[in-house]
Amino acid sequence: MSAGQGQANRTSWSLAAPALALLLIGSIGPLLIVLVYSFMTPGDYSGVQRPFTTQAWEQVFLTRDIFDDTLGWADAHMTIFWRSVKLSVLTAVITFLLGLPTAWFIATRPPDRRALWLFLITIPFWTNLLIRTIAINEIIRNEGLLNQVLLKLGVIGAPLQILYTDTAVLIGMAYVYLPMMVLPMYAAIDRFDTRLLEAAYDLFANRWQALWHVVLPVIRPGILAGSILVFVPSLGAYVTPRVLGGGKNMMIGNFIELQFGQGQNWPLGAALAVLLLIAVGLALTVYVRVLGGAGRADG
Amino acid sequence: MDEATRVYVKDASKRFGHGATVVHALADVTLTIEGGSFFTLLGPSGCGKTTLLRLLAGFETPTGGRILLGDQDVTALPPNRRPINTVFQSYALFPHLSVAQNVGFGLKMQGIARAKRDARVDQMLALVRMQDFAERPVAQLSGGQQQRVALARALAPEPRVLLLDEPLSALDLKLRKEMQIELKRLQRETGITFVFVTHDQEEALTMSDRIAVMSAGRVQQIGTPREIYAHPANRFVAGFIGESNFLPVTVADGAARIGDHRISLAAPADPGPATLAIRPEDIMLEPGAALSAEVTDTVYLGNAVQIMARLEDGTQIALRQPATIDLPESGQRIGLRLPVEAVQILEAE
Ligand SMILES: Nc1ncnc2c1ncn2[C@@H]1O[C@H](COP(=O)(O)OP(=O)(O)O)[C@@H](O)[C@H]1O
Ligand SMILES: [Mg+2]
Repeated sequence: MSAGQGQANRTSWSLAAPALALLLIGSIGPLLIVLVYSFMTPGDYSGVQRPFTTQAWEQVFLTRDIFDDTLGWADAHMTIFWRSVKLSVLTAVITFLLGLPTAWFIATRPPDRRALWLFLITIPFWTNLLIRTIAINEIIRNEGLLNQVLLKLGVIGAPLQILYTDTAVLIGMAYVYLPMMVLPMYAAIDRFDTRLLEAAYDLFANRWQALWHVVLPVIRPGILAGSILVFVPSLGAYVTPRVLGGGKNMMIGNFIELQFGQGQNWPLGAALAVLLLIAVGLALTVYVRVLGGAGRADG
Repeated sequence: MDEATRVYVKDASKRFGHGATVVHALADVTLTIEGGSFFTLLGPSGCGKTTLLRLLAGFETPTGGRILLGDQDVTALPPNRRPINTVFQSYALFPHLSVAQNVGFGLKMQGIARAKRDARVDQMLALVRMQDFAERPVAQLSGGQQQRVALARALAPEPRVLLLDEPLSALDLKLRKEMQIELKRLQRETGITFVFVTHDQEEALTMSDRIAVMSAGRVQQIGTPREIYAHPANRFVAGFIGESNFLPVTVADGAARIGDHRISLAAPADPGPATLAIRPEDIMLEPGAALSAEVTDTVYLGNAVQIMARLEDGTQIALRQPATIDLPESGQRIGLRLPVEAVQILEAE
């Protein structure tokens, strides 16, 4: 490497230094604290104290029977964890299915109209998440708008119990995270050369074949980015399951919060948080490997 | 000539937009493209060549008229149900697929079994001399290589008609000449009807069996390159294909009159004012000839010289002579002869 290049590299490093410092302090620092807390003993009322122990990590997976003191799998934790993964995957799938036609629609508007549509898509971001979630609550609760209308129309005889179910959580999360799916997919579709679509039709593809064999593979980076942007925050969602899922349909985020609040078990909360992080990391690695590879094997 | 691959376009017209912004991209185009021939649509940019090609491919439906393939009316068939394939101007190769996967795409969509498909892909890649690139991503190819892949991809499903929209315009001159020869070879070897679009008259003349010259959404003339060059049907064709001089004349008694000079005509023409068209290279220098002109300029072209001169009535005329002649000087008077067989009488302006 020439001296000039070395100089250029040093310059770019020093330009990035403030951002790197902020990232280190803002993410690695708290992460280390959480990791350390997960190996400590719960404080008397809250917080943590010594000695260091792996007790919290055991609690994550194993539970001690209060009657006969035997150890068993921590089924409750697994249920919550599984529900979180399931709801997050479903949220990503639903937002994808809704987001693809939406993003396609926006990308095929005349250029001077697209900004308006994108603007409309981002309007929900203007309002606080809690307020928006309570608004959903108003719509789907038993005496809410949806049930009122359906009752009036005679579609149903008694109100549907949607609120405080997984369905309610799913509706809320799909609503909240839809823009995160639409925006990156819009960016990818906007770059999509529609002549490829004509080429596909010309070569005997029908609409579905053109979608499956040409459009989806070509806009894959957008799908990848969108589903990560939806899946990751869904997995850690807290407000939506709290307001729409009630106390029973907890997700991992609510359970972690519980440990830091009422549960007064900070080490367990910390261990769960670390576990969540590892799970997200693993899931993303597998996902990007499978979907983001150089090319699909079929010909 | 092959009946099933003959393309028949009847009174096809295409309008875009409506009201004040309506564009008549095609107006009552009627033409027959014989099966197995190399047919060229030639015309300046915006004359409707691409629109006609898109009607043939099925990307657009005509506002009026019909399109027949053999004796089948395909006017309403979508592109994926027409045995017609396209080589796009921009190639439109699938960026996520390898060269071989691109070439096999049409066959795959037709549901042809893997083994048969692979064999056909190999054969096509050999045809365009791209065997060594089968597994490459298309993004790694040069323009000329992408062009070959686009050709192989469109030929692989054995279409009855191949449409090519200015396929060579993005290539540099040397590559373009090579591909012209290559395309002719492919057309001969496959026997497929080629409908080739270009705005380059030289390309059209050297490659085509027949040419349709288009202007402003209308077909101006259809014929062999020789017919179109030697006997342009109107002033547009005469001016667009090669160069021509246009001289105002008066026709009477089987002769055309320029000032008081008479040129007897080979073919009968309607009496009255007319335009005489003649190519610069067809005009002869003849000292002492009855038609004389004053040299205004000379341009050296390497293998020829172009002499610009002014007739007695003030009309500018260009003539081309071998570079070996003694160059006349500006202001010098020269005698001209317009050989009767090279003269074309067109309607007056
Ligand atoms: N989709 C379209 N919408 C509106 N006008 C069009 C469209 N496609 C072509 N045109 C118009 O039709 C005319 C012919 O275009 P085209 O067939 O592309 O010409 P060429 O290929 O000979 O350059 C042009 O005036 C062009 O602007
Ligand atoms: Mg064109």
